[in-house]
Amino acid sequence: EVKRQRRAQKQGLARKLTQEQIQPGTPEPVEGREHVYVQTELYLEEISDRIIEVDGECQTDEFLDRPTTPLFIPAKTGKDVATQIEEGELFDFDIEVKPILEVLVGKTVEQALLEVMEEEELAQLWSHQRAFAELRNAEFAELQRLEEQDRRIREEKERRRLEHLEKLRKQKETAEKIAARAFAQRYLADLIPSVFNNLHDSGFFYDPIERDIETEFLPWLMSEVEETVQKKVLGRTMLDSLIRVVVEKRLDEFSRPPPPAPTEAPAEEPSATDAAPQVSDEADADDQPVEEEEETDQPVAEE
Amino acid sequence: MAQPRISAYLPPDIDPTKAALAFGRRALPKLNEELQSPELLTQQRALMALCDLVHDPENVYQAIALGFLDSLKTLLVHQDQTVRQKTTEVLSVMALHSIGREGLIRSGIISALAGLLDDPVDICRKNTHQIFDRLAKLPQGAGGVLQAGLISPLVLKLKAELDEVQELILDTLSNCLRVEISEALAAGAVTVLKEKLSHPSTAIRSKAAWVLLEISSHAEGKIAVCKEGVIPVLVSLLQDTQPEVQAGTAGALMFAIVTPQGRSSAMGAEAIPPLLTLVAEETSKARLNAIKTLTLLAELPESRKTLLDHRDTFHRCLEDPSEAVQRAAEIAITVIDWKP
Repeated sequence: EVKRQRRAQKQGLARKLTQEQIQPGTPEPVEGREHVYVQTELYLEEISDRIIEVDGECQTDEFLDRPTTPLFIPAKTGKDVATQIEEGELFDFDIEVKPILEVLVGKTVEQALLEVMEEEELAQLWSHQRAFAELRNAEFAELQRLEEQDRRIREEKERRRLEHLEKLRKQKETAEKIAARAFAQRYLADLIPSVFNNLHDSGFFYDPIERDIETEFLPWLMSEVEETVQKKVLGRTMLDSLIRVVVEKRLDEFSRPPPPAPTEAPAEEPSATDAAPQVSDEADADDQPVEEEEETDQPVAEE
Repeated sequence: MAQPRISAYLPPDIDPTKAALAFGRRALPKLNEELQSPELLTQQRALMALCDLVHDPENVYQAIALGFLDSLKTLLVHQDQTVRQKTTEVLSVMALHSIGREGLIRSGIISALAGLLDDPVDICRKNTHQIFDRLAKLPQGAGGVLQAGLISPLVLKLKAELDEVQELILDTLSNCLRVEISEALAAGAVTVLKEKLSHPSTAIRSKAAWVLLEISSHAEGKIAVCKEGVIPVLVSLLQDTQPEVQAGTAGALMFAIVTPQGRSSAMGAEAIPPLLTLVAEETSKARLNAIKTLTLLAELPESRKTLLDHRDTFHRCLEDPSEAVQRAAEIAITVIDWKP
C-alpha cells in the first residue's frame, strides 16, 4: 500500500511537470527587447507579498501636579427666593446621621486599631527579643562559668606539675650532692697521706731540736772553730814575724862587719836552713819568702 | 458611586497643617520636592503629612527608595524647632520598621543625629534618643552607634537628662555594650550606673541593672565592676520589690561573679539568702538568672555547704515549665553535689 501511495505521488508530480510544459506561455522576447510587467489601471499601486503594517501606541501621561480645587462659588443668577424650613420637614436627623456617623466612627476606630496593632507588634518583637536575650545571657553565663572552671583546673594542674618538677629537681640535686660528696671523700682520703708524705719529703716537718741544733749550734761551732784556727794561724804568723825580725836583726848585726861574709853567709844559710826546719812545717809558705829575701839580700850584699 | 469600603484618604483640607497629598504614586515624590522648597510653611506642612504616611511600611520603602533621607538629613539642622521636631519624629517612626532601620543605618543618619544630642528642645532630644534606641536593637545599628563614637556622649548625657530620656539612653547603651565596652569603660560608665541603681524610678533601676549585665559579660567589664564595688549594691538590690529590677540584678550578678574576686565579694555581701528566695518563687522572672548565679557561687566550698541544705529548692525548679530553667537547675544540682 505504501508503494502504491508513492507511485501515485510520482505520477502526480510527472503530470504537473508535463502540464507546465504543455501550457502555452508568452513567447520568448525577440532579441534586443524585453518583456516587462506593467499596470494598466488608473491608479498605480505597489504590489508586494508583505502586508504594510504600521505600529501605533498610546499611553496616559504622567500625573501632573494638579493644584488643589479652589472653592467653587458659582455666580449668582436668577431671582432671590426665600423659604423657611420647619424642623423635621426636610429629613429625619437620626436616620440621616447614621451613615455619616458610621464613616466617622469607622475611620476613627480603624485608625486606632492600626495604631494599637503597631504598638502590639512592637511589644511582641521586644518581648521576643527580651526572651531570647535572657536565654542567651544564661547560656553565656554558663559558658563563662565553665571557662572559668576550666581555667582554674588548668592552672591548678599547671601548678601541681611545676611543684612536682621542682620536687624531682631537688631530689636529683640532693642525690648528685651526696654522690659528689662520697666521691670527693674517697678521693681526698687518699690525698691526705700523700700530701703528708710529700711535705715530709720536702722537709716541712722537722724536729725542732734538730733544727735548732742545725741552725744555731753548728754555725756557732764553726765560728768557734774558725776563731781557734785563726788564732793558731795568728800564732804562727806571729812566730814567723818574730823569726823574721830576729833573722833580720842578726842579718844586720852580721852584715856590719864585712869580714868573712861568705863563710857567715853559708853559716847563716845553714842557720837559716836549720832554723827553718825547726819552725813547723806549716810555716813553709812563710819561710820560703824569708829565705828568698835572705838569698836576695846576700847576692846584694855580695855585689 | 458610594461604596461601603472606607477610603484610605481623609477628606481634603480636613487638617490645614498638613500638605495635600497627590494621587497614588505621585504623593511621595511631590512631598520630597516640597521638603526641599525654601518656604518654611511648605516644609512644615510636608513634614506633617509625611509623619502620617510613614506609619505604613510600603510608604517607608518607597520613601527610602526615593531618597527622602538626604532631604531629611539637611532638615535636621534647620533653625526652626518645629521642623527639627517633626523630622526627628518622622525618622523615629521610620525606625519602627525593619526596612526603615536598614535604610537609616545605610544612609549614615547616626552621625547626623549626633549633633542633635544637645538640642535645646526636649522633644527633639527624646526623638533622637528613641531613634538611637530603635536602631541599636539591630546588630548593625549597634555597630553604627559604636562607630560614630556616641557612647561617651551618651554616658555623659545619662547623668544630666530627663527620666524618660534616661530610660531610652539606658536601653541604647545596653544594646550597644553587648558588642564592645572599651569606650564605655573609658567614659566611666560603671560609676554612673552605680548611682542609677539607687534611682527612685523602677524602670531606670532595672534598665541600669541590664546595662551592668551587658558590661559584665565582657572580661574587662567584670574587672571594672569588681573594682568599683558594684556587687554589694547589686546584692542589696536583689531584695527590691519589683520583679524587673530583681531579674536585671540577678543577671548582672550572674556575669560579674564569674571571676574569683567577684565571687569572694559576693560571698562577703551575703548574696545567697536573697538568691534562694528568688529561686523559690515559682513565677519570678529572675529565676533563671538566680539559679545560674547560685551555680557560680556553688563552686566555692563554703557556699556549697550552705547550698547542700537547700537542694530541695532546686529539685522543685526541675518542674518549671521553661526548659532553660530545668536545665539550669540540673546543672546547679550537679555542681552542688560535686566532691573534689
